[in-house]
Amino acid sequence: MGILLFISVLLVAACGLIYELVAGTLASYLVGDSVFQFSTIIGTYLFAMGIGSALSRYLNRGLVYRFVWIELLLGVIGGFSSALLMLAFAFTQGFELILYALVIVMGVLVGLEIPLLMRIVRDRYEFRDVIAHVLTFDYLGALGASLLFPILLVPRLGLVRSAMLFGLVNAGVALWTTYLFSSQLSGSRTLRVACVVVLCALGIGMADARRITATAEDNIYADDIIFARDTRYQHLVLTRFKDDLRLFLNSHLQFSSRDEYRYHEALIHPGLATVPVPHRVLVLGGGDGLAVREILKYPQIESITLVDLDPEMTKLFSTHPMLTKLNDKSFLSPRVHIINADAFPWVDSNNDSFDFIVIDFPDPTNYSLGKLYTTAFYRAAARHLSAQGLMVVQSTSPMFARDSFWCIAQTLKQAGLQTYPYHVYVPSFGEWGFVLGSTHEYIPPTSLPSGLRFINVEGLPALFQFPPDMAPLPMPSNQLNSQVLVRMYENDWKDISH
Amino acid sequence: MKVGRRKFLRAGSAALVGLSLKTDRPIVGSFVNDSFQMGHLLRDRASFPAPKRLEKFPVVIVGGGIAGLSAAWRLRKRGFTNFVLLEMNPQAGGNARWGENEVTAYPWAAHYVPVPGPKAEYVRELFEDLGVLKNGQWEERNLCFAPQERLFLYGRWQDGLEPAIGLTQKDRDQFQHLEDLFAKFRASGAFTIPLELGRSSKFQDLDRLSFSDWLQQQGCDSRLVNWYMNYACRDDYGALAKDTSAWAGVHYFSSREAEEKGPLTWPEGNGWITRRLLEQVGENVRTNQMVHRISETKRGVRVFAGDTEFQSEFAIFAAPTFLAPYLVDGFPRLHDFIYSPWLTANLTLERLPDSRGAEPTWDTVFLDSPTLGYVDATHQSLRTHIERTVWTFYWALADGTPAQNRQRLLEKDWNYWKEAILHDLERAHSDIRQCVSRIDVMRMGHAMIRPAVGSVFSEERRRLTRRDGRLLFANSDLSSISIFEEAQYHGVLTAKTALDRLHGHL
Repeated sequence: MGILLFISVLLVAACGLIYELVAGTLASYLVGDSVFQFSTIIGTYLFAMGIGSALSRYLNRGLVYRFVWIELLLGVIGGFSSALLMLAFAFTQGFELILYALVIVMGVLVGLEIPLLMRIVRDRYEFRDVIAHVLTFDYLGALGASLLFPILLVPRLGLVRSAMLFGLVNAGVALWTTYLFSSQLSGSRTLRVACVVVLCALGIGMADARRITATAEDNIYADDIIFARDTRYQHLVLTRFKDDLRLFLNSHLQFSSRDEYRYHEALIHPGLATVPVPHRVLVLGGGDGLAVREILKYPQIESITLVDLDPEMTKLFSTHPMLTKLNDKSFLSPRVHIINADAFPWVDSNNDSFDFIVIDFPDPTNYSLGKLYTTAFYRAAARHLSAQGLMVVQSTSPMFARDSFWCIAQTLKQAGLQTYPYHVYVPSFGEWGFVLGSTHEYIPPTSLPSGLRFINVEGLPALFQFPPDMAPLPMPSNQLNSQVLVRMYENDWKDISH
Repeated sequence: MKVGRRKFLRAGSAALVGLSLKTDRPIVGSFVNDSFQMGHLLRDRASFPAPKRLEKFPVVIVGGGIAGLSAAWRLRKRGFTNFVLLEMNPQAGGNARWGENEVTAYPWAAHYVPVPGPKAEYVRELFEDLGVLKNGQWEERNLCFAPQERLFLYGRWQDGLEPAIGLTQKDRDQFQHLEDLFAKFRASGAFTIPLELGRSSKFQDLDRLSFSDWLQQQGCDSRLVNWYMNYACRDDYGALAKDTSAWAGVHYFSSREAEEKGPLTWPEGNGWITRRLLEQVGENVRTNQMVHRISETKRGVRVFAGDTEFQSEFAIFAAPTFLAPYLVDGFPRLHDFIYSPWLTANLTLERLPDSRGAEPTWDTVFLDSPTLGYVDATHQSLRTHIERTVWTFYWALADGTPAQNRQRLLEKDWNYWKEAILHDLERAHSDIRQCVSRIDVMRMGHAMIRPAVGSVFSEERRRLTRRDGRLLFANSDLSSISIFEEAQYHGVLTAKTALDRLHGHL
């Protein structure tokens, strides 16, 4: 009997610690500031345990009976605490209130446990042995729980099911106690029925935990994050909400699968469709393969060279089923050659000529990226244009970053190219702009590949019209030694966001 | 199971390893390019071998720094190839030497040339030859990329090197007052590059007092103004304002138009120019040729290097002029040539350190540091993604006398300088010790001429620039300031003189 009794002390102690850890971890995950969360939760919990211990002196009769009820209550409240907190965060404004209320209630109940147990067993042992044994197993249980929690429970079961598992342990101890002390109990049958009800409820909860988590998470994060990775070059996040896939690079939106066709058709076709016999195409940037998908619609093209810095990006868009579906497996085409290199030195060292060059870099948010928007870079790129060739440059928004857009156009002009700026509306981006650069006069195409969803011949001339709020502004060109564009871009977007 | 005490201790100490402090990266490196041993041989009049071989050239150039290489450039440009250039070190370039490792090329000393003004016609001509100036346009890739300079002060960064934040009204007034004065000096046309073309006795008084005394006369007592003026003197002259001629101090600020687009720079600094010059004149250059005696006669100049005697009609002395009394027979002692000792170091960084959120710039300076900060060698890279880099750290040992500082350079070991450099960088980059893998240190006892009081209008200098003998002096120290344009100017002029007089004789 002795050892069994002390094992229940150990289990009870483990449960107490697990609930505390669950509350602390969840609060850190959801609210952040883990130091603050753990400090205040541990403090509140210990204080509530003190209240429980103080209250224990008012329980005088039917100690075993009351102990069983405490265990059951704790099993229910602690077991469901994690699910309750997640739902509270997702659906209510009062997460903190509920958090600390739960912590106090659980703390009081846990605080009652040990004093009651000591008093229950005090007649069987010497006082000093009671203290020694109960506390020994109490601390052992705490150690076990604190090791199990991070190593096994959180990674294997998750927070919701871990709490429920220990709720089951509490209820199990309750049930077990009714047998251990059956001689001291009257009405043990009712108690046992209650135990079984609680065990069943928690069991069902365990089985259904995934749905609870999913319901809460759907509301916590607007979109599911299906992929997130820090590559050597950038922070890459892919999200999905229903049928909308979105790619973020360093938290800048790159595309939304719902409307990216507008962006990519506009990027490619107004320029490429005018090249009489395009054989060779160069894409700088564009590691998502979506521009290449559009280029592959021209059967005459023999070779597409894509230069993108990040091998993980091009690999992801060559292999991930959701993404290869989006880019029509464009990277798997034998006509496509992927080169993972820094664009400027590559352009400098390569001597091939191309009939169409696509320059699709992230916006000039810093001085490093700014180098790719300079007269020096456009001159180096223009060196690769064949006699019939032309290039297109993604040029940020002429609406939100009007100065920047016209600065890029001026930079291409300064690099010795004739420029033809145009713009389209992409719902997830807003008004977006491109500049065609050419060594000869550009006339919009009179035929386009079939199957386009956005660009058509009739609509093309309108893209080259700029309404007054996006109309040309006189801007300086952007040079390596001035990098005016980076500061301009920062100011443009500051105006929007403040 | 019983755990033995020893086993327990071992397990315990293993656990403690995890608790030990985050360790710094091991940093290797050494002193490099030391040349004082050779200089001391000359100083101590060591005996050199008697000549075993004789070679004859119409022109011999002594010294392969920018002055010597520019003389060679001019000779070859005029179709004259029958000359030899003798360089003491294994690598030509002098103060425009460079190094290279697996990360990048980097400078060892001079690292930029301001966009030359209209008076610096030889510099403009050279840059046209090298494709840096095309149809009146400066090549964008050779202009310093933005952002260029930053100053670390009060725990934060500002753009530019002149203190602009935390100024009192008095500071502002004094900066403004000086700016107005310098504008007037600039307008006078007497402060030019090359210096010789504008120097006028009208401002000779300025050469009779120190820059710090002059600043005091102008009522400039602001601590920040004085820091900045001292920084300028340390940067260009390796000296404090109190050890600099006021004329030279004024020249620093009044000789160039304030313009946005410069300076011209390259990953290896002015080593790029050395490289390009060597492409043109390399076949005339002999390195590891230590000249130990020069003898000027009525009919020519005999130059002794190693076991060879070079006989020439004209010799161009492009080495630092302070060596002349040790090399040239019957040469008088010099009084107006004082040199500043410097230390430069190249640090290889395995990653960029924490910079409190700032993007890297070309030049970084720390307010109130005894050093001049550092220049980033990969700043002129066209890459967008840079992980490793090399920083060139500059330190003019200006506090104290040059002799004391030369002594310090010789006495302190590599570890001392390593610690001093890291300590300085830690002002702004707290994790620098976890980034640096290598520090190579170059000590230069006579790094650059110092325009001390009385230097600019020195009679001694005037005599040496007359170019009327057969030994023609070309080093930039003849101008009393050590800049690329002056070295090139004297180099080209001596070559011109040599050619004119050779052809006159032929």
